[in-house]
Amino acid sequence: MQSDNRGISVCLTLILAVVLTLMPLSGDWIVWKPNFLLLVVMAWVMRWPNGVGIFFAASVGLFADFLLRMSPGHSMIVFALCAGALSLVSRWAKYLSMLQRTLLMALIITLVAVLEASIFIVYGLPSGIEHLPMKILLSIMVWPFIDLSVARLQPNRG
Amino acid sequence: MANVFNKSSSLLRKFLVVSLLAVLLMIIDSFTPWLKPAYSAADNLVRPLYWIANIPLRVQEWSANSVTPRSEIESDNLRLTKESLIYHGQLQRMSDLAAENMRLRRLLNATELVQDSVLVTEVIGVSANPLRHTLTIDRGTADGVFVGQPLLDAEGLMGQIIEVHKRHSTALLITDSSHALPVQVLRNGLRSIAEGSADYNRLNLKFVSPTADIREGDKLVSSGLGGLYPAGYPVGTVLSIVTKPGDNFLEIDIDPSAEIDRSRHLLLLYTSRDNTADAVE
Repeated sequence: MQSDNRGISVCLTLILAVVLTLMPLSGDWIVWKPNFLLLVVMAWVMRWPNGVGIFFAASVGLFADFLLRMSPGHSMIVFALCAGALSLVSRWAKYLSMLQRTLLMALIITLVAVLEASIFIVYGLPSGIEHLPMKILLSIMVWPFIDLSVARLQPNRG
Repeated sequence: MANVFNKSSSLLRKFLVVSLLAVLLMIIDSFTPWLKPAYSAADNLVRPLYWIANIPLRVQEWSANSVTPRSEIESDNLRLTKESLIYHGQLQRMSDLAAENMRLRRLLNATELVQDSVLVTEVIGVSANPLRHTLTIDRGTADGVFVGQPLLDAEGLMGQIIEVHKRHSTALLITDSSHALPVQVLRNGLRSIAEGSADYNRLNLKFVSPTADIREGDKLVSSGLGGLYPAGYPVGTVLSIVTKPGDNFLEIDIDPSAEIDRSRHLLLLYTSRDNTADAVE
């Protein structure tokens, strides 16, 4: 029953992430917008590693590829890589303080942003590398809210 | 400790499976159109969410309209009435000129200029990917929209339709990095190609030689070459021209005429060759 509730919570948070992703913004805010789907998936991987793993993250990544009209597979690999890395540390990550978790996420978000920009550069596409610092900063600022929301939906369960 | 290593190898196996699958999908997508329906399916799946995502924008518009003072509305109304009168006057002159132009073209045995007609549409969603400049509009096959159809706003060319569904369509904007548009300088007819730069406020002009007669402030319009966009629609204004020693071509930045990231109400263009002129609103 608990698992069912958690499944619904995961779906609802993902729908909210899609809505935030689709929300129209103007000016530079478009390119600074954090990757809400990735942040939500990472929050769930940290909080519920037995339920949300690599395959789930890869599926959401594939959906993100279709949603963002990117070549399918890019976000899939990025999401799976993040989920894999977080699954490895999830056992002790739940004992970290909010600040430590945020720093861990800052590291992962930076690596992801650089990896994504590298993929775009390899493909000869505009990477938007000049916007990366602001995008990373906004993602880090948004992260504690997402983490706390997921924690409320998933209190102290492993 | 052994448990940690077991977990690592299991994760590694899973990641390898996902990576192989991702590479396979990239190859399939690069060489076949098999995954095209998946894009449409994802688009249809999230379509109701576009409505929810647009709520803040609608609330902002509604509140802006609600708090506008009566005096401002009245002065706007007066200004618009005057503008309408001026435009009607100019339109009468235009129709006279168009008729004269057509007579002269007949005399020269040239093809007649087509009469373009338009269909008003509203933006219901913009691309969630900042590096892919597309938007979704509320018109589809039911309204006679077709792939390749030009899209305008009140100021100039916006882009073209790349995907059509029954009740909505997706348009690729002229600022997308994969988009190129044949243009000409209004002042002297110099032809070139305006390419998207992945920046909503910039286009790049390609293949203009350093000796070409082009200046900052020159207006660019669509040249009609390529057959996709009709000739004569505003594209942009030359913003800056940079000559780099040793380069064969100038580096020219264009400021698009259309309000690419701001316009909400757009026009779908039908030319007489589309045989859909009855779709005018």
